[in-house]
Amino acid sequence: MTDPLPPAAPTALAAEPVGPTVSPPDRPSLPPGRWIRENLFPNARNSILTIFAILVALFAYRGLLNFTFSEERSWIAVRTNLRLMFTQAYPEHQYVRVWVAVGLVLVLAGLSAGIWARWGGVTLKRLMGWLMSGGGLVAVGVLIREPSVLTDAAGESVRDDAGELVRESFAAAMADRWVWWAVALVLFGIGLALWLRFEDLARRTIEIPVAWLVFGLPGLLVASTWVIRYGHYAFADGEFIAEPGELVAMSTRVPWTVMWLLLIGCYGIGRVARNRAIASAQAAAETSDDAEAAGDGVAGEGAPELPRGALAKTRTVVNLAWVLSPFFLYWVVMRDPEIDYAHVFSTMLPMGLAFGVAGSAVLWWLTRSDAGEVGRLAAIGLLLLAAFHWVAAFFGWYSMLQVARIAFLLLAVAGLLAPNFAGVAAQRRRLVGAWLFVVLLVFYGATVINAPSTIETPTDMFIGGFSVTLLVSVLTIMLSFPIGVLLALARTSRQPIFRVLSTVYIEVIRGVPLITLLLFFSGVLPLFLPDGMEIAELAAAILGYTLFSAAYLAENVRGGLQSIRRGQYEAADAVGLTTTQRTGFIILPQSLRVSIPPLVGQVIATFKETSLLAIIGLFDFLRMANSVIPNQSQFLGVRREGLLFISVVYWVVSFAMSKYSQRLEQRVGLGQR
Amino acid sequence: MARAARERSEQERGNGVADKGESTMSTQPAHGDATIAVSDELAARDDMIVCSDVDKWFGDFQALSGITATIKEQEIVVVLGPSGSGKSTWIRCINRLEAHQSGQIIVDGIELTNDLRNIEKIRSEVGMVFQQFNLFPHLTVMDNITLAPIWVRRKSRPEAEELAESLLERVGIPEQAQKFPGQLSGGQQQRVAIARALAMEPRVMLFDEPTSALDPEMIKEVLDVMEELARSGMTMMVVTHEMGFAREVADRIIFMEDGEIVEVGTPHHFFTEPAEERTKLFLSQVL
Ligand SMILES: Nc1ncnc2c1ncn2[C@@H]1O[C@H](COP(=O)(O)OP(=O)(O)O)[C@@H](O)[C@H]1O
Ligand SMILES: [Mg+2]
Repeated sequence: MTDPLPPAAPTALAAEPVGPTVSPPDRPSLPPGRWIRENLFPNARNSILTIFAILVALFAYRGLLNFTFSEERSWIAVRTNLRLMFTQAYPEHQYVRVWVAVGLVLVLAGLSAGIWARWGGVTLKRLMGWLMSGGGLVAVGVLIREPSVLTDAAGESVRDDAGELVRESFAAAMADRWVWWAVALVLFGIGLALWLRFEDLARRTIEIPVAWLVFGLPGLLVASTWVIRYGHYAFADGEFIAEPGELVAMSTRVPWTVMWLLLIGCYGIGRVARNRAIASAQAAAETSDDAEAAGDGVAGEGAPELPRGALAKTRTVVNLAWVLSPFFLYWVVMRDPEIDYAHVFSTMLPMGLAFGVAGSAVLWWLTRSDAGEVGRLAAIGLLLLAAFHWVAAFFGWYSMLQVARIAFLLLAVAGLLAPNFAGVAAQRRRLVGAWLFVVLLVFYGATVINAPSTIETPTDMFIGGFSVTLLVSVLTIMLSFPIGVLLALARTSRQPIFRVLSTVYIEVIRGVPLITLLLFFSGVLPLFLPDGMEIAELAAAILGYTLFSAAYLAENVRGGLQSIRRGQYEAADAVGLTTTQRTGFIILPQSLRVSIPPLVGQVIATFKETSLLAIIGLFDFLRMANSVIPNQSQFLGVRREGLLFISVVYWVVSFAMSKYSQRLEQRVGLGQR
Repeated sequence: MARAARERSEQERGNGVADKGESTMSTQPAHGDATIAVSDELAARDDMIVCSDVDKWFGDFQALSGITATIKEQEIVVVLGPSGSGKSTWIRCINRLEAHQSGQIIVDGIELTNDLRNIEKIRSEVGMVFQQFNLFPHLTVMDNITLAPIWVRRKSRPEAEELAESLLERVGIPEQAQKFPGQLSGGQQQRVAIARALAMEPRVMLFDEPTSALDPEMIKEVLDVMEELARSGMTMMVVTHEMGFAREVADRIIFMEDGEIVEVGTPHHFFTEPAEERTKLFLSQVL
């Protein structure tokens, strides 16, 4: 599998590339016959291997088809339970919340894709290849699948005297499958038509924007819900029983259409903003003396790079929204908290204000240009104070709201960072502004989290299935990433204490099976917690995953850190950067780039490992397929269909991530050589 | 442009350059056989770098022994010596990339100790150019240059970018600002590295074999920049094997071997009548 877009290869050390870069001459593509001969059957041994491999592939393909289309499969179990598998028994009359959540994610996705994506295109030639081979694959499938079992008038399979299933004749099977023949023909036909239309090589390099494919295919799917009845039943409120009712495809086609429109609408908005920014940067470059300065940063690629600093505010906001969205969607949108306003006005609001004002004053003082050593000591004092509150909480010396402890800790962290913002008024204001924003978030978050949910479902959890899988994965990844980076830095630090602590942590965690950690946190840990401190099952699970994943991430990041040459440290030191600045601006960005492949591997692993949630009693995606559906009275024992279905969903998500990481690698690799 | 600046600065520096090699030597005793020779005019200037009796060990191996030297303001000192003689180690001690173990190093009146604040201060006063350029590959040329002015000198971004543009102009590559280091030739990269160091507006520039990793045709473009810098009145300490540069530009040449200063003198003295046998041997090998 190669990516549709070849990496923009800036020739290393090419001195001042002049004018448009010349693309390398096209390798003359071989006619198919010769290609096959040269690559698949070059000699006797390879021919045998080729034939053997083809046979194995056909056999596997046939098995998969026979399994999928077998009369014994009741796919209706999956179709009926689609909603259950994705959102568990989320109440029907509140379902709009789910759509709002999906919609917000798609808005962000559309905007981000519009602003950032440089997808380029798929060559027409490649597209033709896909279409024709797709058609071919369907045709082969139709041919090799075993003929269907005959059914009698009552819909029962017909058996012969020996009790064997009676199958229709091959010819009848082929005739029965006319729809599939049609599909194969259409796919192949379109491919062939394109082939004939754009016979000459030059025109076959015409590119179709990838965006069309990325948005067009889901669009087709959404459009088809208006024609084809995919789903079967919807679930009645909260009941695990399939009842006849509105067809799922019918009840979701309007929302899905809205979702798709939101996606492309936001993509369009993002694109327009991007194009404007690029145009204005080019205009600025043309008016200034050095016309070359801007815009030709990365020559030789179709889509121009977004100029530096363009849309900076929008990009910050979108990024921030991405980071906050899982929390917001889960605790506010999906959970619908019932806020106790008396508590808000009596406690949270005054406390938040106090932290905001006092914290700002402290930070303002710490960022005076002459705060110097006293400032550093004060920040360390703050840190000790914050740590003390946690110790006190553990021994129950005095009571304090958890949110206050967290706020103290955050203030201490801000205080430690203060020297980086010292002196310049704009920087000081930025730090104080960030602090106020953090206070707002923390106190709002605490209010929302502590408020009870109004969503009523048959289980403790108001979401389940894929949404829990997704939530746990996303939160785990977001939380474990910074911890992993810190662990890696600590493990490579010059401070022996940090090094030892981090090493011990990493080695211990890596030596323990994940499932024991999860069981420990969900079952055993609550027993050790002091009175009054509880930990929700889901939070315990996320904690377990996070601690586990952080250890692995740390090792991946450490690999990256070790690949940074000493000269980078020395150069950063020589220009006078502090250790923090050196780490943040020079060392980490480079080492994270190097570790993209293992990091994404870890992310994918985490996503798949969330299936262990089923073992500690949460209703995740796997549990839906493995035990919930097979226990429904209509679908007793129907398990394999659901497992195959969720495998496909897991695969699609994982594959998308791995593709994305490949693109990311190419993209950040640009500046590296 | 460059020529005009050169002439102007030459006038400003007056006799300092013109007298090179002909003025009388005032000598002062130093550690070992080394003799620090300073012309009268130079001696009158303020001290910029003072090293006295500096020792440095790597484990059991003594890389520097009893280095004693004073470098005056606006002076150009070239350090010569065979490979492994401790030139890099010395120059790196001056901005504390290496810590010396005994003796004293004072840069612009600040003594180098383990005190972090002193180190930070000196590093923003002393620019350094490395043999391997050590540009930050993930940042554009512009960001390479503006990073430290913004975060260490606390300049605003527009201010820093303006400075960077003028520096890129000065080193002769104003059109490369938005490129990444990997897209530049070695000579261009080294010139960016010089611009990056200059962006901190240092009082002293240290060069550790700045042309040794370059293809021959690129050496001159870097040496030209350094020469221009020298004429503009920068204090410079240069480790190099470019004898032409040493002869033309240096105020003094310090010859090192085995971690010691063997001989010090003006280029004229050094290339025509070296006093030490070891110096003669070295010169016979490289010339
Ligand atoms: N980090 C180090 N650890 C151990 N020995 C070193 C280290 N750096 C340099 N040396 C040794 O110190 C001596 C002087 O090295 P250096 O200053 O790089 O010489 P020069 O730059 O003159 O070639 C050499 O023998 C070298 O092997
Ligand atoms: Mg060296």
